[in-house]
Order: sequence, then C-alpha cells, then structure tokens
Amino acid sequence: MEKISDIINRTKAFYCVDCGKCTSACPLSRFGDYSPDGLVERALLGLPVQPDLRIWSCLTCNRCKEVCTYGVEYPEFIRGIRSLEEKEKGVCAHGELYSLMKLFTFTHEREQKRLNWVSEDLKVSNKGDILYFTGCLPYFDIVFRDLGVDTVEIARSTVKILNKLGISPVVMNNEVCCGHDLFWNGDLETFKKLAAINIQNIKDTGAKKVIFSCPEGYRTFKLDYPEFFDFDFEVVHISEFLSEKIEEGKIELRKIDEKVTYHDSCRLGRHLGVYDAPRRVISEIAKEFVEMESNRENSLCCGTSGWTNCDGFSEEIRKERLKECTDAGAKIMVTSCPKCLIHFKCHMSNRKGEYDIEIVPFEVLVARAMGVV
Amino acid sequence: MKDRAVLVIGGGVAGMQAAFDLAEAGIKVCLVERTLSIGGRMAQLDKTFPTNDCAICILAPKMMDCYRHENIEVLTLSEVTAIEGEIGSFKVKIRRKPRFVDEAKCNGCGDCARVCPMGILNKFDMDLRVRSGAYIPFMQAVPLIYALDRDKCMRCGLCEAVCGKDAIRYDQKPEIVERNVSAIIVAIGFDPLDPSGLTEYGYGRYDNVITALEFERLICAAGPTGGHVIRKDGKEVKRIAWIQCVGARDTRDNRPYCCSVCCMHATKEAILTKEHYPEAATFVLYTDLRCFGKGFQEYVNRAEDDYEVKYIRGKPGEIREKENKNLEIFYSPSSDRVEKLEVDMVVLSTALIPSEGVEALAEILGTELDKYKFFKLKDSYNPTETTRAGIFVAGYCQAPRDIPECIAHGSATASRAMEVVLGGSYDRRA
Repeated sequence: MEKISDIINRTKAFYCVDCGKCTSACPLSRFGDYSPDGLVERALLGLPVQPDLRIWSCLTCNRCKEVCTYGVEYPEFIRGIRSLEEKEKGVCAHGELYSLMKLFTFTHEREQKRLNWVSEDLKVSNKGDILYFTGCLPYFDIVFRDLGVDTVEIARSTVKILNKLGISPVVMNNEVCCGHDLFWNGDLETFKKLAAINIQNIKDTGAKKVIFSCPEGYRTFKLDYPEFFDFDFEVVHISEFLSEKIEEGKIELRKIDEKVTYHDSCRLGRHLGVYDAPRRVISEIAKEFVEMESNRENSLCCGTSGWTNCDGFSEEIRKERLKECTDAGAKIMVTSCPKCLIHFKCHMSNRKGEYDIEIVPFEVLVARAMGVV
Repeated sequence: MKDRAVLVIGGGVAGMQAAFDLAEAGIKVCLVERTLSIGGRMAQLDKTFPTNDCAICILAPKMMDCYRHENIEVLTLSEVTAIEGEIGSFKVKIRRKPRFVDEAKCNGCGDCARVCPMGILNKFDMDLRVRSGAYIPFMQAVPLIYALDRDKCMRCGLCEAVCGKDAIRYDQKPEIVERNVSAIIVAIGFDPLDPSGLTEYGYGRYDNVITALEFERLICAAGPTGGHVIRKDGKEVKRIAWIQCVGARDTRDNRPYCCSVCCMHATKEAILTKEHYPEAATFVLYTDLRCFGKGFQEYVNRAEDDYEVKYIRGKPGEIREKENKNLEIFYSPSSDRVEKLEVDMVVLSTALIPSEGVEALAEILGTELDKYKFFKLKDSYNPTETTRAGIFVAGYCQAPRDIPECIAHGSATASRAMEVVLGGSYDRRA
C-alpha cells in the first residue's frame, strides 16, 4: 500500500510551484470551491489531504495535467490519494453501480446475461480475430432509460458498422466491467480482479484486435492493464478503426445537412490524445463541421467521471459546454463517450425546451450515415 | 604558419563585441552574418532594461564601429558551410547568398525600394509591416546596401531602371569564399518561440494576443505603428497584460529552463506602455519574479511605485476572446479561487530558444549541443569553450543571458581567441 510520500514522488507533485495555472484551467475550480494545486500544496506541507471530500470532486479530466508546465501528474496524484487505506468515502452519484461492478468479480456465482442486446439482425461470433469490447452499456442502459438515453443503440450501431465492413466481431457473454471507475476511485484490488478476468476471457477467444466504443474502457486497456498484466492483443478505438477505413476508401457515407460539432471526452482526448480520428470521420458525414470555443486539449469536461460527485457544479459545467455548442451554431453534438452522453442528456432532460441540440453518439451517427440503422 | 585571424559567426551584440575586441588587438576578423544586417535581436528592441536606454542608439554606433573597422570583414547574407583543419589553422567555407545588388556600387539611396511594386511582410518587424521587394530590413541597417527579394520578384525591371549607380544584378549567383583562421567564435543568438502550439493562450487564433517581440516593434517609434500600441481593429490599448514564462519553464516540450530576461523585459514593456499611455492599466502575470541582476529589483519597484504596473502572481490557464475582441484571462492568484481579468491586449513573454539551424551548424563545426540545443561547454570552468578546441561560444546560444552578459561573454571569447592567435597556448595544452 502506498504512502502519501510515495504518491508525491511518483506523480512529481514536488515540482508544483503553486502558480495556479491548473486551478485556472480546471473546469471545476471555475464553478466550485476547488483547487488542484491547492490540494497538492497541502500534501507537500504535510497537512492532511484525507479526509477531505474535495478529493472526490476531481473529475480526473486531465485538463490540469495538460496545462501544467512542471510535469505534475495531478490526476494520478488524486487517484493515488483515493487509493490510500485511511480514507473518507466519497459521495457517489450512482452507488448501486459500484456494487454491481464488484459483483462481477464473483464469476462462479451465476452466469450473466450480457448479450441480451444482440438481436438477430446482428452478426457476431464466439471466436475470431476481431473482438468488440462492448463495455457496460447493456447494464447501464436500464438505469438511464428515463433520461431518454439509449446506450444499447451504441453497441448495436457498432456491430452493424462492423458487419457492413464484412466483420462479425466476437462479443463475450463473460465480459466484465473493465474496472475503470473502481480504479479511479481507489479500489485497486477489485480493479485487478476484473482486469485478470477480462484479459483471460479475451485470450480465450483468440482475438488479435479488440475494438472499443467506450473511451473509458479503451483508456483502461491501453494505459492501465499493461501496468499489471501482459497481453498481446491490439486495442483500438472505433473512431481510429473507421478513420483508417475511410483513408482506404472502404466506407461510403451519406452527408447530412445539420451543423455538427464534436465533444472531446476526457479519456479519448486528453488521456489518449485521440483528437483527429473522430473529426476525420465526422467531417466525412457533416457538410458543415464546427468546433466549439474550447476543443481538443482545451475541451470542457462533461462534468462528472467515474460516477463520483455529481452536483450543482457539475451541472454548471454541462450548462457551459452546451452553451458553447449553441454558440457554435451546432444542431448536433457528437459524443464519443456514453457517459458524456448520459450527463448531457440528464442535464437537458431537466431543462426541457431550453436546448435545441441533439446529442448523438459517434457510432450512431456513423451507422446512420452508412445506412445500416 | 598560424593564421592570425578569427572567424565570428553571428553579428548580434555578442558576436560584434567579440569581433571588435579582436580587431582592436590587431587581429583580423571575418564576421559572418546570416541576415542582411548586423545588429541581431537587440536591433529589434525599442529600449533596454533596466535603464530604458534606446536600444538602437546604443547599438548603431557599435554596428558602425564593427563594420568600418579596418581589421573586420563583414560578410552578410552568409553562412558557414564547411570547416576543415584544427585549432590554429581552420579552413572555413562560407556561402554568400546573392543580394542581387552590387555591394560596391549601391549607395543606399533607396530609389529601388521606392519604385518596387512588391509588398512583402518584413520579418524584422515581426511581419507587422509591409516592405518593398527591394529593401533593407530597418533604417539603421549596416551595411546600408539594399537587397532584392528574388523569391517573389516579378522582374519588372523598375529598380534597374531607376538605379543611378547601375547596381542591380538580377543574375547574381551564390558564391563560396574561403577564409583561413586560427579560432572560431559562435554567437548565433536565439529565436523567440512561436507560441501557437500553446493553445491555451490562443496565439494565432485571437487577434489581440501577441508576443513580446511583436509588442517591442509596436511600441518602437521607428516601428510599424510609429510607437502606437494599437490592436488589429485599430483601437489603442487601454488595458494590457503580460503573461510570463510562455513555453519557458515548461516540461511539456522539453523547455524547463528560465529564459532569464523576460521578467525584466515585460517590466520594461509595461513601463514603456505607461510612458506612452499614462491612463492605461498594465498587468504582469508571473510565476516567480526573477530580479537577480544589478538594478533589477529597483526596476520592478519603480514599475510598481512610479508607474502603477500591477504584478499578479498566477500563471493563467486559459484565455477567452470576447465578441469585442477583448480577452478574458483566467488565473488563480492564491490557488483557491479563479479570477477573471479583462484586457484589450495580451502580450506573451515567450520562451527564447536556440536559433533555427543550430543543429546543422553544430554538425558543420563538430561541436556538441546540450539537451536543449544550446552549445555545450567543454566544462563549466571554461564558460567560453565548446567541446571542440579552438571553437568558442558567446551569448545566448550557449545559455540564456541578457544583453550586458552577452557583451561580457563576447569579450571573454575574444580574449580566449586571442590566446590562440597570439600566444599559441593550445600547443602547450596539447
């Protein structure tokens, strides 16, 4: 178990000069009582950072790390602090989901019904080179239906896109939660158990390439699993996969008239640096693609990550982001992350008639343009 | 036979000082300058800190002293392409780019510039002014010999028609000249960083976010706006903020070093702004104010007390442009809250980085660079010696330093080169 001094060393927190750049870029500090470098300075001075509920407020959106000129790995610092043994539990917006994630580790208990969403019109396989790691969409779908969110649509669209390209992806009934949320909330042990299950199950299918639609899962497989486990299958996000296919001239897409903008999710954007691929694909579809005021590495967050605190400040961030979309004149905001989708839709569903924007998942936009849904 | 001559690469303030000291000691110097005029970066400045002396007024006599010195041969538009030999007897190949003007005949009258129909952004003015296709980079350029920009020239023939000295040479070709020298001094200075990659500040995207060197041209009476600090929309500034350490002290792009001059540079620019516009509000947003030199702290105190320059500790994390093209700066003065500052112009004190082409030159010279591409010293107790015997380094291209330090460093290299030329100390050391 790490000590706080280990975390300070590992994340180079001691380089912090308290210049306030991270705080002034942080989406949360803009609206709430929060300061990344303030917290780091407390830790450096030996003041207790635990219990401090503010550590659960951090969105781990990487904005601070992106602008820090001293190389402080602030999101990793927060994750470390959240993993400390002596800790105050954070306020969780969706506590029941955590229990679900933990239940996944008990694989022997009961076989899941993970593939209920796979309808007869979808071609999938049990073994093969290309695997689609669906993520938790099917599980979460029922929780967020009342917000008008259809996350299963994302999974179905992804498979339809792949089918159209002549691929019947492997989908696994024994896929479990990737552990992203537990990892970022400091539950390393459960995270590792989930990771081991997923990696073994994927190896069993013989898959060489794993495609993701969920940026959180993609980040976790790409950056975090390799820290603990060895595997040699390739991981790729659907946007990167499709962008390559477009370059090869293998996809035909119908154009749409509405002005479209793209919301960079923190995991796919700042965490993984995937900015161009989704834009490449969307630009093929939208006759008019516009950028919001903050975009790419400077993108505003959707306001919550890892199902931690969702509060009035998160709502302010969403409001600001949707305002940017409106100001850009876009009618459609494409998201790559199902959680961004849920958060924006939740915000909008409580403010009926305030926004003239449609939030469309990336995969759904592409599937529509390919004429497969 | 030893060659009693020294090659100086770079005609900035450090290189000129080295050349002048050597020449005064009776040693022949070949001063090679890449651009049209000697003078270097200092020539672009309006004033110097911490005395607010007019930069070109100090520099121009030095430029003339150098150019007119019987022992100094100034080769402008020239670059070193190869060297052979070793300490005591280097053979240097220098490529002289054509000026398309006969240097011996041109008297600098400027008739060609007046008739040339071309309009080209002037690099010396940080692209803020349009110059003619026949040009000198600035009024006090040394040598005062015009050049034709043949890349974009239409070859209309007007310049040739009006030149009373018959000095236009459209078909001039580059030539290679050779010089034999005992020692070489490298003083190629720095380039300002292009901050458009630091997207949080919107340089290149927002109209009124400019760099400190651009500001220097604006505030200069001989500059593109005649000393008026005006925005792209023509409005004069009323509220202006400097942001320090832009791209400097930044690990993201391997530039963790302090550029050494920007705290004073920004202070100077803020003071000059107040002198031009006493009603203007000026802000300097800094990380640490590094006032380490003689008179520096007093300079900052004076800026605060006499000129009401407001210093704010806090490095901004974002700038947003408003509809009226004003800028909203987000900063956090004490790490517990975010504040907004609205200004009508933002000046970025950008990092100063080793000059373009430094790697190619280092390869030609056979000298090593450090991890930031400054010239590496043989050891830290020989602050002028590169990793190759007989090749010395002066000024900013060795490490960040200000003008007086560059001059001192130039003199120091001159004295070390003198040892080689006059004393033959390298023989004893070997």
